[in-house]
Amino acid sequence: MEIFIQQLVNSLSVASVTILIGIGITLIFGLAGIVNFAHGEFLMVGGMITWFLVTSGLNFFLALVGAMIFVGVLGFIAERGLFRFTLEQPMNGFIMSIGVSVILQHVVIRVFNEVQKTIPDPIGKVWVVGGIDIIAMRAIVVLLTAVVVATTYFGISRSRYGIALRASIADQDTAALMGIPVRRYVTGVFVYGSVLAGLGGALMIALFPITPFTGSVVIIRGFAVSLIGGLGNVGGAVAGGLILGLVDGLSAGYGSPEWTDAYSLVVMIVILIVRPQGLLGGTLGPRAT
Amino acid sequence: MTLLQVDHLRTAYGVVVVHRDVSLTVDQDEIVTILGPNGAGKSTLLRAISGLLRPKNGIIRFDGKDVTGLPADRMAGIGVVMVPEGRRIFPDLTVLENLRLGAYCRKEGDAIEADIRLMESYFDVLSTKRNAKGGELSGGQQQMLAIARGLMARPRVLLLDEPSLGLSPMLIKQVRSVINDVRTKFSAAVLLVEQNAGLALAVADRGYLLQYGQIVASGPIAALRDHRLMHELYLGQGRGAR
Ligand SMILES: Nc1ncnc2c1ncn2[C@@H]1O[C@H](COP(=O)(O)OP(=O)(O)OP(=O)(O)O)[C@@H](O)[C@H]1O
Ligand SMILES: [Mg+2]
Repeated sequence: MEIFIQQLVNSLSVASVTILIGIGITLIFGLAGIVNFAHGEFLMVGGMITWFLVTSGLNFFLALVGAMIFVGVLGFIAERGLFRFTLEQPMNGFIMSIGVSVILQHVVIRVFNEVQKTIPDPIGKVWVVGGIDIIAMRAIVVLLTAVVVATTYFGISRSRYGIALRASIADQDTAALMGIPVRRYVTGVFVYGSVLAGLGGALMIALFPITPFTGSVVIIRGFAVSLIGGLGNVGGAVAGGLILGLVDGLSAGYGSPEWTDAYSLVVMIVILIVRPQGLLGGTLGPRAT
Repeated sequence: MTLLQVDHLRTAYGVVVVHRDVSLTVDQDEIVTILGPNGAGKSTLLRAISGLLRPKNGIIRFDGKDVTGLPADRMAGIGVVMVPEGRRIFPDLTVLENLRLGAYCRKEGDAIEADIRLMESYFDVLSTKRNAKGGELSGGQQQMLAIARGLMARPRVLLLDEPSLGLSPMLIKQVRSVINDVRTKFSAAVLLVEQNAGLALAVADRGYLLQYGQIVASGPIAALRDHRLMHELYLGQGRGAR
């Protein structure tokens, strides 16, 4: 039992990172139709910035905020400078994003190097909960993600901006007829998704080493998560992330750990074949909750 | 006074030209209709006026100002509001959320809440179904919601695209009284696109007949009654007759 709970917290903390980039991917795709393959590199850059700031002596949680801001600005520049021009040709945008992802990898290698980066555990404590040892930083990752997910979810389902966002995802033209500046929402969502990727990168490097190529692994899982839940659907991304996380955790704990990635991708493929619009619906009639 | 003025408008989807040279006006407090058969270019005309489709040429003036090429969200902001063909209710949002989005451009919270109550008293189905998803309403109820959502913007001119489509004769009668009230109670002008000549003849002051993207006749509604094209529309040959 103890092993199982520890394993659960471990897989939830991994799932957290995936969920954070899954939310960005699902919102950006749902609203703008942009398949941003560079989103994984946004996360990687967030991790690298965190590493740089922490090794320069900054407190981890300040570095985390720094990474979120940096990647948010990066997202803003990418949307205004690049993806804005391919909104009408999503395939061009997709190809472009692959280019951007490779460029970002090379920039990071140039600025730092290709060696993997780690930071010391920012908390370095073990919490004992109900007699079970839990690594504090992992629990914090899960809690922070839970807060972000809850805020995003309620923001989207309740606030005026969230409702306008859902309307824009469902039907851009009609949303514009209501006076909703859909283009500005595209920018907003892109920046928000990027900020979450920055957060994901910071949390990731608190748990695992990161290399300039981490993004390409993470992006596949991010897409898996958003496709499983239904593109454009935040609740779906969370559900998808939890499913992947649990499959991962259980297979690592009880199956053959070396197949972990394969298991979760098999789950994705099966779900996509059985339910092409994802578990909670999306894609064709993209929605956000 | 002329509120909306369209001069020598040219529209196209890619290389497919829809309108070569269309001009029309709508005065303040006027109900104007555009009648024409299926595929004549009625919806495209409203899309161009509402800012969803950028005109290739020509000028659109609203309240004396050149507003050609303004995007739809800006047009809504200045009071040119379209209720699109097919109602386009947001199916996953509640009736109340749909209504509130109609007032997205407006800032005064109290006035918006007052208008929501006004709409609910005016279209009683909106209050009984307040928390139902838009997609759960019947076609007629969705049409009422679509018009109410348009009115929530407090438009100065309301563009209505085939509000009678798919409605029973009884509901069409209700739409007719609503259109009259748009002018009297909400003091907005109306530009009504219809294939249902009966409804248009009953409410409009003035009309334009559109065929193959060209205005073939215009004038006071009584003068259009006997036009050859009207005859076709009346006989219900409008749909599919090209
Ligand atoms: N998105 C589009 N792309 C290309 N052509 C279009 C598009 N929408 C409409 N058309 C064409 O433009 C012409 C005018 O269409 P429009 O929808 O404006 O006609 P309409 O008068 O509103 O017809 P209806 O009574 O069926 O609503 C038609 O020939 C139509 O096929
Ligand atoms: Mg039409």
